[in-house]
Amino acid sequence: MDVVLLFTMIIGLLLIGVPIAVSLGLSSIIFLLAFSETSLASVAQSLYQSMAGHYTLLAIPFFVLASSFMSTGGVAQRIIRFAIACVGHLQGGLAIAGVMACMIFAALSGSSPATVVAIGSIVIAAMQQVGYTKEFAAGVICNAGTLGILIPPSIVMVVYASATDVSVGRMFLAGVIPGILAGVMLMVTIYIMARIKNMPKGEWQGWGEIFNSFRDALWGLLLIAIIMGGIYGHPWFSREGLIWRPGAFTPTEAAAVAAVYAYVVATFIYRDMGPLAARDGRPASSVFQKPWTLVTGLFHEDTRKTLFEGGKLTITLMFIIANALILKQVLTGQQIPQQIATAMLGAGMGPIMFLIVVNVILLIGGQFMEPSGLIVIVAPLVFPIAISLGIDPIHLGIIMVVNMEIGMITPPVGLNLFVTSGVAGMPMMAVVRAALPFLAVLFVFLILITYVPIISTYLPNLFMGPEIILN
Amino acid sequence: MSATQKQPKSPFGHFIDYLEETFIALLLGLMTLVTFANVVLRYVFGSSLLWGLEVTLILFAWLVLFGISYGFKITAHLGVDAILNMAGSKSRKVMVMITAVACIAYGGLMMKGAWDYWAPFGGFQQTTGRVIPTGFNDRTRDQGWYETEQVPIPFGRTYLEETFNMGEEYEKLPRFIPYVILPVGIALMLLRILQATAGVITGRRESFIVSHEAVDAVEEAAAMNKEA
Repeated sequence: MDVVLLFTMIIGLLLIGVPIAVSLGLSSIIFLLAFSETSLASVAQSLYQSMAGHYTLLAIPFFVLASSFMSTGGVAQRIIRFAIACVGHLQGGLAIAGVMACMIFAALSGSSPATVVAIGSIVIAAMQQVGYTKEFAAGVICNAGTLGILIPPSIVMVVYASATDVSVGRMFLAGVIPGILAGVMLMVTIYIMARIKNMPKGEWQGWGEIFNSFRDALWGLLLIAIIMGGIYGHPWFSREGLIWRPGAFTPTEAAAVAAVYAYVVATFIYRDMGPLAARDGRPASSVFQKPWTLVTGLFHEDTRKTLFEGGKLTITLMFIIANALILKQVLTGQQIPQQIATAMLGAGMGPIMFLIVVNVILLIGGQFMEPSGLIVIVAPLVFPIAISLGIDPIHLGIIMVVNMEIGMITPPVGLNLFVTSGVAGMPMMAVVRAALPFLAVLFVFLILITYVPIISTYLPNLFMGPEIILN
Repeated sequence: MSATQKQPKSPFGHFIDYLEETFIALLLGLMTLVTFANVVLRYVFGSSLLWGLEVTLILFAWLVLFGISYGFKITAHLGVDAILNMAGSKSRKVMVMITAVACIAYGGLMMKGAWDYWAPFGGFQQTTGRVIPTGFNDRTRDQGWYETEQVPIPFGRTYLEETFNMGEEYEKLPRFIPYVILPVGIALMLLRILQATAGVITGRRESFIVSHEAVDAVEEAAAMNKEA
């Protein structure tokens, strides 16, 4: 009963426009003061330990930073050029290329809105120029952008792994096949629509353009190789011939390396920002002409701005996550997860019914909450039930992430809908209508993911052995 | 949608902004460099900085706890504004005022908690009372001798020992130094919340929240589209 009061208070505060973090934190504090012996000092301690005690969450600022450097640079532009060279000649080619570019950019960044802004601000305008309707363009990008949290690296997955103590490495691997599958499903849908409605197709520019655009985008694409190869290992030539060298980094370290690499690429190779960039009519200069920039680049205004932008996003996310962790403490302290588990299992709920309930909770919750905050709260609630029903924790994680994706594009409060409506300059309702046909595709995808666990668990089990559940 | 302040700022205001932004940038940059350096050291030289991880985690806590206040200042914290945007101007004002009260309550409670947690480490007295501070507890046990696990003391060792540890030796950095961000950060947060509340009352500010994290980037893109 007390808990119903707690959640009523949280939702009430959220709806009148209290910051998410404050709604969660204030409600938890009031609950703790009223119903337990906990002191305010220990609440403050939890707030501090949310950062200082969570090695896994440390990956978030680094991935955010890597993504900030990649978004300031012209990386998106180069990826789009490569995607157009590959699939632009198909019927509906530019739309399909937009999806492909979103998929690639999702592999560089861990967030969906970032993907929509980076790709959408270029592709939507380009699609209109060659004769697509604005609605169609917005609908495509709005949906493809949600792949940002499914294709690794993904901030939401880091949060899930941290909340449930599963391995981030496993979660990332588990997202690979579903991410590609969702992208391909969107592409096929677009292709069919394009054939029916006779949408424009681009020109085949030849293998030369594919090769050239690939070489141009290579430095950005290498970031994916560094993250994945660093965590899971890579092939290597040694005296014994070709061997598989195991991964050298933890996901957190891989994120830090990715951030430094992204800085080097943006500042010294692409030179879209920093001391070597072309500005005021002066062409971009080479690092060999100005070797001192290796040092001054670190203190350049552009570097400072990008670091600040990354820091700001980290702060707003972590403020929510830290307060959600306080709420999580309240819930586990009151044994709520166990109570819910007993009630649900007592009602004779099987795995299928349970997964439907999880889907519904997340789809509704995703309307109000920032995805990572929602995961921190919901994951500990449903995790014990999932384990006792024999559902793989990795599979559960992917289901939750796909739900978050759909939550981002369902009205009234889908995150990606806001972003797309801003980027495309269209009213919210128009974006909602435009996104609807593709939303149906993602729903089919959700059902597929929910009831075919092998799609998510195949890769992690192949590379890292079967999951062992300790508790 | 966004409620960033548009009124002109004094040079001093700009300077403070610059200081806060640079500190945030610096903390994030240091975190990244320390972690990166540790990876390189391990991979290439087979050694590592023992204190690397702990320092990174402390910087992480500093980044977030310091930055929360700046988030309130520039209205960067996330919230749900669907109902807020539908409401008429009068009910909107009421909702924003309730929000202000909730934020002040949160800041106040956290302030007491942060002080009570930090005070024993710094050799100060905790406050008495469970919710509202009623006075100082003169029987607070001094915990100034608690040290971090691995972090060395870069400078000022004698001063620290004489002031906070009754002249006894510190081997590692004492804990009250990283923990001090808790009372400082929360105090700044409370200050920014109070300023924001004043801004709402005088009508200079519309709300405490933005609806999504990419507001600035979207505004930029929209401006770009208009030009094109």
